[in-house]
This record gives sequence, structure tokens and C-alpha cells, in this order.
Amino acid sequence: MTPPLQTTQATDGRAPSWVSARQRGQEAPKGSIPSWFYPVAATGTVVGLWWALTAVGIWSELILPSPSQVWHAFVQSVTEHDGRPGLSGYYLWEHLWASLWRIVRGVAWALVVGAPLGLALGLWRPFERFAGPIVSFLRSLPPLGYFSLLIIWFGIDDTSKVWLLFLAAFAPISLSVAAGVASTRIERINASLVLGANNAQVVRYVVLPSVVPDLITGLRVAVGFAWTTIVAAETSNGIPGIGGLAWATKKELRSDVAILCVIVIGITAVLLDYGIRQFEKKYAGWYGRW
Amino acid sequence: MKKKTLAKIGIFTAAAALAVVSAACGSNDDSSNAGESTGLPEKIVIGYQNIPNGDLVVKHDGLLEEAFGDAVSVEWKLFDSGGSVNEAILAGAIDIGLVGSSPASRGISSGIEYQIPWIFDVIGKAEALAAKSGINSIADLKGKTVATPFASTSHYSLLAALEDAGLSESDVKVIDSEPDAILAAWQQGDIDAAYVWNPVLAKLTADGGKVLISSEDLSKKGKTTYDLAVVTTSFATKYPAALQTWLNQQNAAVTKIREDVDGAAASIAAELNIPAADAKKQLSELIFLNASEQAGAEYLGGGLARNLFAAAEFNLKLGKIESVKEEAAYNAAILTTYASAAK
Repeated sequence: MTPPLQTTQATDGRAPSWVSARQRGQEAPKGSIPSWFYPVAATGTVVGLWWALTAVGIWSELILPSPSQVWHAFVQSVTEHDGRPGLSGYYLWEHLWASLWRIVRGVAWALVVGAPLGLALGLWRPFERFAGPIVSFLRSLPPLGYFSLLIIWFGIDDTSKVWLLFLAAFAPISLSVAAGVASTRIERINASLVLGANNAQVVRYVVLPSVVPDLITGLRVAVGFAWTTIVAAETSNGIPGIGGLAWATKKELRSDVAILCVIVIGITAVLLDYGIRQFEKKYAGWYGRW
Repeated sequence: MKKKTLAKIGIFTAAAALAVVSAACGSNDDSSNAGESTGLPEKIVIGYQNIPNGDLVVKHDGLLEEAFGDAVSVEWKLFDSGGSVNEAILAGAIDIGLVGSSPASRGISSGIEYQIPWIFDVIGKAEALAAKSGINSIADLKGKTVATPFASTSHYSLLAALEDAGLSESDVKVIDSEPDAILAAWQQGDIDAAYVWNPVLAKLTADGGKVLISSEDLSKKGKTTYDLAVVTTSFATKYPAALQTWLNQQNAAVTKIREDVDGAAASIAAELNIPAADAKKQLSELIFLNASEQAGAEYLGGGLARNLFAAAEFNLKLGKIESVKEEAAYNAAILTTYASAAK
């Protein structure tokens, strides 16, 4: 690891308050607020506000269900009641897993297709001029706009949903990888050429490792895109599915279930992103350290 | 250091709370503000749907605008389903809207404050269960896939038809799909049957679909479905005169459908961008009632409330809704006085 810059020495120890201790190269002072305090405080503030608003009773429970109602919906979603499992006939984890499985397949295909495509875009200028606009075009399309086409082509089972998630996910991966190739430091390429590497070796030993962090950034963006698309993908035959469940609440006036879905999707997305970041730390930890 | 930060957090939280609460109060205003002296609102916001009934005749012929003159401005907003209309009413965005009896029953059961002054139509052959060739009865659907838009009148009718044929929901794979997706899935061969409305229903039957049962047949078995008008309780209490004027125009539209069906079909065809002949055919698949018929005991006078209550109990039994209100709540949600007083 490079030694942290001791900028504070040059500025007589003065630093604006928004410059973090990490940037200033200091360890957090002992006895200050522990790091877990902030997420806990944020959650507490939101739930507290939510509870207070429902307690005041400005809105009816249909418009803003109380925390206890949402808790009740959660309990319903994981238990059997009146002889029926969960909500809309499936338990919450079945809904969540169905959606996750669709996202995993969509993003996996996006990786398989998008990463090589991005590499080609970055390495080969004529191809970039040819295919770059197509990728940008696909990226800018709103999923609901073309989903009915996918249904006509691929039916209302999982195939059309995985296609939709694939289309949402592959552009960010391609574009990140292409950007990664473009930003490979020329000194490193020159150095390897001086050492006698041929073009293939430059790509294999210099460009590919440099691109990995960008690939992971693209993957994070892609997974985020896939999550924002999941409700659209599950409007038709989307049960089981967490997006399908959220869509059903719109018709069934279950605001409590809608909030439950929002919370579950939010937590899952954050955990997934955390997982990818851990993976990045472990396998692409050299980023920014050469 | 710690104290200072905590104090900052406290101030920030209080400011955020204040912002949210004041926003809440701001959005609580009614969409139509009072011209109390005249007893008429300045503006009426109407949520309509593209269903070939009198509402589209009223809209296309400008009957409301004519009746109210310059005193009241009328705003028409298009919705694609009763669920969206329910949401818009909850949000205070519309005064009068069109919902099917299934969403209306759900709305009353979950406590939306609105009332029903008018029946746009009784659903006849316009909604039906169409199946692929080779399926000749509802019992043949066992193990097959049937699509319908969930929470709609069609969904309710499908469940009623299955129960009537002695099938439980687990015998058939019932999936949720919007009408346009139903058509695509039908052509793909993903589904074996669908309970849906026009124009998709007409396309399914043109493509070889066989009608196993229609909402008209189910009506004879006591499972009638309707397209209903809902008016927010606050609007009905504040502006009874405006509501009466609105209802009189609906009654005039029904008269036009009965006496000048070609003229009515032409108006509807213009609104839906379809040929007038198609509009005329679709009109014939709905049943229209004028104000005096509606006021009778079979409809607003009692039958409709019993129907909505029974629909709610049926949905509760199948686990489609959470709770049912006492029968009095469904009676209280029906307004008969306006239909009785209609001119």
C-alpha cells in the first residue's frame, strides 16, 4: 500500500470538515462515534418518522400503513394462514428467490456477452465506431417500452423476463469494460512492449488485469439496473417473484405489502452490492495501487 | 465533538420531520376547490376508461361541458384499470371515476371513502372465458394454464366459473397477465385459455378461441359483474347539485345508446379509434340501464350492495382480500337518490 499523503503537514493541520480522516491520512480518533452508529441512526430516524406520521393519523392506513401493519404483512408472508402459504400463494423467500434467479441468469448472460463485446469495443476502433452507437441505443431504451415485444417473441414465461434483464444489464458492462481498456495506462503498455511482449501478450498480461476493476464496477451498475427492471419484467405471469408481488399490491390495494416489497428489494440489493464489493476487494484489490 | 455531532443530527432530523409533515398537509387539499356560493365546484376531475359505454358518449359529445357551461371546468383523465382509479381516488386526484365491481368491492372493503351513484353497464358477453380448440368444457381446464388480469371483474368471473364447475384454484394454473400480454401469450401457445374483455376477447375468438362461459352466463348464476361510477364521499356531500347534473348526462347517454345506437357507436368509435361497426357490436355485448331502472330494488335499490358484499366474501374465502366490512358498509356506499331524481 502506498503511504497516505500527509497533506495536513503542509496545511498546518487545518482541513475542511468534509475531508474525511481517511483522506487526511489519519486514523479515526479513539472514543469518537463508532461506525455502526450512522446506519442504526438512519434506520431509527426513518422508522421513527414513519411511526410518528402514522400515529398522528394525517393519512389513512391505506395511504401510509403503520410499521406494525407492515410487520403483520411480513409475518403473513413467511407463515401459512387460512391454509394458504405466504402472500399470493408463495412464501416471501420463494418470491425473492424467483426474482434473484431471474436476475442471476440475466446478469450472467450479460457478463458472457457484454464483457467480450466491451473488450472488442475498447481494442478495435472500427468496431467501436460500428457497434458503439448500437450499445448506447440499447442502453437508453426504457424496459417497459419494449417489454411487450419481448413477450410476443419469447412468451410470458421466464425466457422473456431473462431477456429483459439481460438487455438492461449488458450495456453497462460493455461500456465499463470498453472504458477500462481505453484507460489502461500507456506507460504499462509501453513497458511491456519494451520487454518484448507481442500484441496478444499485451492484452493478456496488461489490458485484461487492468480491466477487472472496471468490469466489477460495470457489474455493480448492471445488477442495479436489473433490480430497477424487475417489477416491469414481472408484470406478466410474475408470481412467484418479488416484483410480481409488488405489482399485485397495486391492484389489490395492499400498501403494507408494497412497503414490505420495497424494504425487501432494498435490503437484498444492498447485500448483493456489498457481496460484489467484497469480491472486488479480494480479487481486484490491486486497483489504484500500482 | 460527539455532542456537537449529535446535536447536528438532532437538528437535521427535526428539520426533515417538519418538511415531511408540512408537505403532507399541503397535499391534503381537495382537487376541486369550492365556489361555495353557487354550490358548484370550479373544476370536476373525471377518471375514465376506454370501455364502450355511456361515459365515452358523454365525453365525446361534450354533454358535461355543455350542461355546466363556463361555470365549471371538466377535466378527463384516462386510466387503464380499476386498480389505478382506486389509487387515484386515494391520492385525491379525481372526483368521479369508473371502476369494475371487483375493484369497487375491494375499495369499499379496504375503506376507500367513495360511493356509487350510477351503473355504467352490466357486463354481458363483453367478458368471457375463451379456450384453445380441443378444450370443450370448463372441466377440461384441469391442469391447464389460464390467464386473466388479476383483481379485475374477469378474474372474479373466472374464479366463480371454476368454482361452479367444481374445480379448485389448485386444479388450474391461473396466471396474472394484462390483456395485451394475454394476446401475445395466446399466440405463443403459452396459455390454454383466458378470461378477458374486448377487444382482446374478440381477437382470441377470431383466432379460433371457443367461448366456454361468458359474464352473462355467470350473471344468471348470481355472479353479476358491473362497470360502476364511484364518487368521492367528500365531493358527493359538498356538491350534490353537480353530481346530479353529471348523472343526468349519463342518463341522456343511455337514452342515446338505446334510441340512436348508430350515433352513440359513432361517438364511441371516435374515442376508441375503431370502426363504428365494431363499436356497435361491442355496445351490444354490454347491458345498459336508464336511471329509473337503476333505482329499482334489483340494482342500486339493494341488489348491487348485496352483490358487492357477496363478491367481497367470495374474495375473502379464496384469500384474495384481507377483510370484509359489515354488510351495512356496502349499503351505505350506494347512492340511490340521484338516480331516482334523474331527469
